[in-house]
Amino acid sequence: MSLAMLPAEAPAAPPRLLVQGLTRRFPGVTALGEMSLRVRPGEVHALLGENGAGKSTLMRILSGVLKPDEGTIAVDGEVLSFRSPLAARRAGIAMIHQELQQVPELTVAQNMFLGRSLRRGGLLVDRARQEALAAEALAPLDPAIRPDAPVRSLRVAQRQIVEIARALLDDARIIAMDEPTSSLTPSEFERLAAVIAGLAARGVAIVYVSHKMDEVFRICGRATIMRDGRFVAEVDLAGTTESAVVAMMVGRALAVAPHRSSVRSETVLSVRGLTAGTRVVDASFDLRRGEVLGIAGLIGAGRTELLRLVAGADPRTAGTITVNGRPLARPGPRAAIAAGIGLVPEERKRDGIVPQRSMVANVALPSMPRFAPRFLVRRRRLRAEAARLLAEVNLRPMQIDRPIRLFSGGNQQKGIIARWIAAGTQILLFDEPTRGIDIGAKAEIYGLIERLAAEGRSVIVVSSELPELLRLSDRVLVMRQGRIAAELQRSELSEQAIVAHAVPRSPRTA
Amino acid sequence: MLTLTAPAPGPRPRLHVPWRDFGTLLGLALLMLVFWLAAPGFLTERNLLNILQQSSINACVALGMTLVIVSGGIDLSVGPVAALSAVLSASLMVGGVPPALAVLAGLALGAACGLVNGALICFGGLQPFIVTLGTLSTYRALALIATDGNPVFGVPPAFRAVVNGTVAGLPTAVIVVLVVALLAGLILRRTPFGEYLLAVGGNEEAAHIAGVPIARTKIGAYMLSGLLAALAATILVGRLGAAEPILGNLWELDAIAAAAIGGASLMGGKGSILGTLLGAVILGTMRNGLTLMNVQAFYQLLATGLIILLAMLVDRFARGRA
Repeated sequence: MSLAMLPAEAPAAPPRLLVQGLTRRFPGVTALGEMSLRVRPGEVHALLGENGAGKSTLMRILSGVLKPDEGTIAVDGEVLSFRSPLAARRAGIAMIHQELQQVPELTVAQNMFLGRSLRRGGLLVDRARQEALAAEALAPLDPAIRPDAPVRSLRVAQRQIVEIARALLDDARIIAMDEPTSSLTPSEFERLAAVIAGLAARGVAIVYVSHKMDEVFRICGRATIMRDGRFVAEVDLAGTTESAVVAMMVGRALAVAPHRSSVRSETVLSVRGLTAGTRVVDASFDLRRGEVLGIAGLIGAGRTELLRLVAGADPRTAGTITVNGRPLARPGPRAAIAAGIGLVPEERKRDGIVPQRSMVANVALPSMPRFAPRFLVRRRRLRAEAARLLAEVNLRPMQIDRPIRLFSGGNQQKGIIARWIAAGTQILLFDEPTRGIDIGAKAEIYGLIERLAAEGRSVIVVSSELPELLRLSDRVLVMRQGRIAAELQRSELSEQAIVAHAVPRSPRTA
Repeated sequence: MLTLTAPAPGPRPRLHVPWRDFGTLLGLALLMLVFWLAAPGFLTERNLLNILQQSSINACVALGMTLVIVSGGIDLSVGPVAALSAVLSASLMVGGVPPALAVLAGLALGAACGLVNGALICFGGLQPFIVTLGTLSTYRALALIATDGNPVFGVPPAFRAVVNGTVAGLPTAVIVVLVVALLAGLILRRTPFGEYLLAVGGNEEAAHIAGVPIARTKIGAYMLSGLLAALAATILVGRLGAAEPILGNLWELDAIAAAAIGGASLMGGKGSILGTLLGAVILGTMRNGLTLMNVQAFYQLLATGLIILLAMLVDRFARGRA
């Protein structure tokens, strides 16, 4: 795709960032094919595409981690020859990664000057001057962050601000942000939006990568959409709609499916007084057969903790869990799994998959004893059943002997769902089921959750995405500060109702 | 339907091609080619059998070490475990206990030492490196205390004859190690326990949530490592006719080297039984060939160190930068 295909523009100053014909091939795939991107000074420009569309590859080339096979990158009209991350930084390109790259034990100032510390007499680190400069850079962003505080003590949102301040110290002219809001609360997002607006006002060009369409439409002016490693379109967001953008991302229109309910009468899970320190306090609820129970709440409200307690992944300090009338006596995931409970964790890489092992091995992990009735694993039977279940959940490509780490997030999630079906699980606990999953695969995961419920399994879904909860849930529990603050029936469900219960009350009004 | 049915046996799993093992084999072949050209008398049947026999003790220890490394741990205590078990079984034999029973007691002691290692790691919440560093000294001290530092002499000749004999033209020790390797391969690739070892070493938290019995798996690995160290000690006692409490010094390093050359990752989750065997033979071939060439001991040590580093660098670059 050549620049000629970008919309015409008055030949004023050169764009701050101009990417042309950028190509990068990996064995077997072209991750990036003649990609173009144009960002003006002071513009907040969204880079949109499904997972696997090539956004990360483009980001990695911009930050100098990866070298392109062909193509050019120019900053303010000057073509760069990228050799290293340091060269990219010198050219004024800064990257705010999704997983922040900081050393938790070091202070804010030490992190900001990591790898280029200020010296006194050429030998000693001048901590005082570093902290003064750090404070100066932080002041307009978030004066509450102390330069001498260890980064470990900061919340994710504050750590992000530190990264941005560090970029400003570098005199960054272009700041690329990769999913910066994935773990921010609404108020933290507002603060970040204000910071971004401030940066743009200073002429910094922002490249903003996010899956959250509402945010993109709020803070970005224009967007470049890519698919399969290629440029699809550059659009003015004010003149288009969310569904039009999504259609360009996936190459087809996605139907918005209505809610489907399969709730039966019998209760399969009863939780009473479940407590773990102050993270989860006195949680009680029931789950019925075929029901999809949503759990809403802010980050840190105790939703993930509650799921992990029910799944036996963490020890509980008080409370009972009863499955089909039988209380879970022993602690630990094995007892929960034997009773028919399975956890689909949010952080797949950390808690879900054994990365080097094949898709088949990951599916079979909890069911190994069933496949090895007499000491030796009956591999053919195991593989056949895994293949059948993976076909059911629509794994693509069906290369089931490939290490699971080589699959996309959506496919890994399908693998974990297949894992619990293979284990005969009746109660599936999903923690942020579509985090890090592209829009196309998202709809598939929703379909699978509905199918699980329709076939008589029960599901609990923890999600920060309200539309997701509204689409899937028969009932929603709202958690606030470790407690279940409200229970909303399907008829009472709305984004406003959930938010109203989720936001902490100040001590005076409570 | 997303349901459980009993499916008919499907197609055979596609054969897993062990490229890494081919690489190790190639390394061994190259090494042998060099010695064939440089060391007269290297490529004779007698010398090759000699190499296998000399490698068998390290191979035996390294197989247990591989299982531990796959589980994400390390066992530094294998040498002292071997000494402790050698001292016990030799003393029993000298005291008139039938050799078979004495050997079994030694093997049981080895497994028990592993049990202690595993239990300290799983229930004491300590790092494997630290635990086995501690038991490395503790077990060695126990062996020295039990014997007053003196070797146990007078192992029955009948026992020595069996250990040093041959079966179908191959030294008994080599046969024993081959059988052990076959069993270890079966355990690692064909049993739930083996799958659990790979899972625990690959991602312990994910394995925990998937219902893998973490403690049982790890403890099992350390028990097997202790058992195989004890088995190696039995072979050595048969060969020497005595059990020294200082036996097995630095065995852990040779065993780790063999496993690493064979493709085991010290990060856990990855390892090859065949590779470890080949790794042990590579180390044995080095020593044998250099001795035939009359290379001084200091230079032999240097060559061994360099071959380990070279093997790891080749491995790293063959896999490409992550």
